[in-house]
Amino acid sequence: MQDQTKPQVQAPDGGRGGRGGQAPANIPAPAGGRRGGAQAPGILFDSDMGRSIDTALALGMLYSLGPKGQLIAVSVSNSSLEAAAFCDAVSRVYLGSPAAGGLGRSGLPVGLAENGPKLGAAPMLNAPLEMKKPDGSVMFPQGIKDVRDTADPRVLYHNALLTQKDGEAIAILAGPATDLVGMLALKSHREVVAAKVGLLVAALGAYPSGTADPRVTADIKAARQLFAEWPGPIVAVGAEVGVAFPYAAGSIEADFSWAPVHPVVEAYRALQPRIHEATGQAMAAVLYAANQKEGYFKLSEPGTVEVLGDGRTRFVPSANGKHRYLIAESAQKERVLKAYTELASTKPSPPAGRGFRPQQVNQAADPAKAGGR
Amino acid sequence: MITKKALPRRSFLRGMGVSIGLPFLDAMVPALSWAAKKPPVRLVFMYLPNGIDMPNWTPDYEGPLTTLPRILKPLEPYRDDILMLGNLTHNYGRGLLDGAGDHGRSCASYLTGAHVRKSATELHVDGPMSMDQLIAGKIGNQTPLPSLEIGMEDPRQTGSCDSGYSCGYTNNLAWKSETQPLPPILNPRMLFERLFGANADLTPEERRREARIRGSILDFVRDSTKQLEGDLGPTDRRKLDEYLTDIRSIEQQIERAAKDETPVHPDLPKPAGAPADFAEHYRMLTDMLTIALQADLTRVSTFMITREGTSRAYREIGISDGHHPLTHHGGKLDQLAKVTQINEYHAKSFAGWVSRIANIPEGDGRLLDNMMIVYGASLNDGNRHVHSDLPTLLVGRGGGTLKPGRRIVYRQETPFCNLHLSLMDRMGVEVESFGDSSDRLSGLETA
Repeated sequence: MQDQTKPQVQAPDGGRGGRGGQAPANIPAPAGGRRGGAQAPGILFDSDMGRSIDTALALGMLYSLGPKGQLIAVSVSNSSLEAAAFCDAVSRVYLGSPAAGGLGRSGLPVGLAENGPKLGAAPMLNAPLEMKKPDGSVMFPQGIKDVRDTADPRVLYHNALLTQKDGEAIAILAGPATDLVGMLALKSHREVVAAKVGLLVAALGAYPSGTADPRVTADIKAARQLFAEWPGPIVAVGAEVGVAFPYAAGSIEADFSWAPVHPVVEAYRALQPRIHEATGQAMAAVLYAANQKEGYFKLSEPGTVEVLGDGRTRFVPSANGKHRYLIAESAQKERVLKAYTELASTKPSPPAGRGFRPQQVNQAADPAKAGGR
Repeated sequence: MITKKALPRRSFLRGMGVSIGLPFLDAMVPALSWAAKKPPVRLVFMYLPNGIDMPNWTPDYEGPLTTLPRILKPLEPYRDDILMLGNLTHNYGRGLLDGAGDHGRSCASYLTGAHVRKSATELHVDGPMSMDQLIAGKIGNQTPLPSLEIGMEDPRQTGSCDSGYSCGYTNNLAWKSETQPLPPILNPRMLFERLFGANADLTPEERRREARIRGSILDFVRDSTKQLEGDLGPTDRRKLDEYLTDIRSIEQQIERAAKDETPVHPDLPKPAGAPADFAEHYRMLTDMLTIALQADLTRVSTFMITREGTSRAYREIGISDGHHPLTHHGGKLDQLAKVTQINEYHAKSFAGWVSRIANIPEGDGRLLDNMMIVYGASLNDGNRHVHSDLPTLLVGRGGGTLKPGRRIVYRQETPFCNLHLSLMDRMGVEVESFGDSSDRLSGLETA
């Protein structure tokens, strides 16, 4: 049953962190009339890329949202250069090389947590990154060789959020909460989060209760802090949603048939024959974030997510709580899976000429983009 | 046994309406106590307009500096005094939600670390003040001048200078408050009098008349000079003589410049009393800055090598096109070559100043050892207005708190304000954060 009558989650302060919230004094207010037309909501994506094909598919979905969402920053919470490099490679598939204005649509580099949880062997990352063309060159170019080719996620998110109007940005977390909590620790960055992010969708935990999620146990303290201190509303996506609506990964090759080669497909192949279905916790988070009113999922009543000492999460209903969680309804399964397939494997279209797109260093000069006075 | 009382660090030669601070002399420190009386650390921002031709600025290596790229070649003798910093970014220079106007934004946010409100009529940065003024507010009471703002062109503070951004944004670096910039002193005579006299409020006409009457400023302090010389040893007497000779030389330059009517810009009058020749003008101003630093008249200074967005021509080196139009070369190699030439010319002039302060003894080292000079721009590539990887040199040894002679490349998007925090620490002003800083810069003091 669709539940389109549920109100959007509201912060207890009346939605200060939501749409229409006022930026604090040191945050730039939107300059009215300087941009024509509606802007797709900017999306931050923070994930533990490399742990499951779910996050790779979710990343693919994020490049295919059209007017429903524009990826403005990608960061990985594993301390894994390969994970960051994979994100960069996927970005170039969809947006082209930095010289073509690609690299994270915002023009910003990929974020990487320097001291995040370690990622062990990750064949889904290494296989596409090591793949070669017949002439010996890399199949999927990427520009990350060193940690200095990446950005501190806290800074990356801050800079990306400032391109957004107040309350219009969406953050999607599909990994440990380490990066987002790190951002809250910086006063100026926290103010930016409060002003700009209208909603955090966190694929983290199990609801209303369940076993411990590895994304929580990877950094229990951060997860606890996130749910306690995040200044705006949070919609949590539990592991049970991913299990209820699994992506039929077996069809992935058919879904991506438009692409002779694709890093997400190669990532999937590297995981075979171990997986036939991909639990879709991160994909559900993306689908909900970009389609909050489409009724793909039911929303719980308001309440508060608590993180227990062993990494389990527990939802405590309360009328003025800032949190809700997604409920997977079997009636929506077919619709949701269709949306997953369509979005995850959409053929990229040329990048639109809107949004924040700072030029990359050492690109070929382009007089058309020279912003002379 | 040493019994003689040391000369106070803050000593002046005084005459009627004139006060000349003294450089650091041996007599100011009793023998055997140099280590305990370390000279103060001074901070100077030497600001370059319109970005840089980065391929000719950036070495293709990291770590110890060896051969420097073309633009920085003039600085090669001082490469052991240079930290090249890579990947520092000023996000508030970017368009964000405000559209065009990168020159206005990048300049006004360079030291304020703050968003700049777009307006051609009102000035407002969304931060309390620039970092140099924050330092000046904390330690400025230890010197006669809390800070010193110097520039080379364009006194305009109103009107639009860049896509709806006021000239007040492109023509100032220092901000005393969120609405009050501190315009740089452009007139050499006015700078001279700011440093040594009490006549800074005179009109140009009054100033010329006064200068004709009095001859040299040194005439006014002759008695106190003689009195001081009697108390000094031979080394200090030589130092004092060289110092006063430098001051006289500056006076003579100013007198010559006052007669120079050559235009430097087709639309703008050159600053009163400034020579038309860039190198000569730069030399004159940096000579005075040197004296201000040497005499501890101030410890914080900003110096605008022309304003941001300048269209100054450099006929001295055969370039009659304006600097700003040239930077939008659109890939035309002949125009880009001229930009490189201008960048080189600035670096050559800067190297000349570095050479001078490297040859001024101070304490048991050189004045340069106690300096931190940020030589850089608020734009990377002026053609495309890139705000990441800002061209940034940190020159000097910060009183032993820096380990120069290296190129350090930080992570992408590292806030330029992180450098501000690190510099403020070394100036004795420790704050938790500044602008959009996320941390201090690592590795400045260790190889």
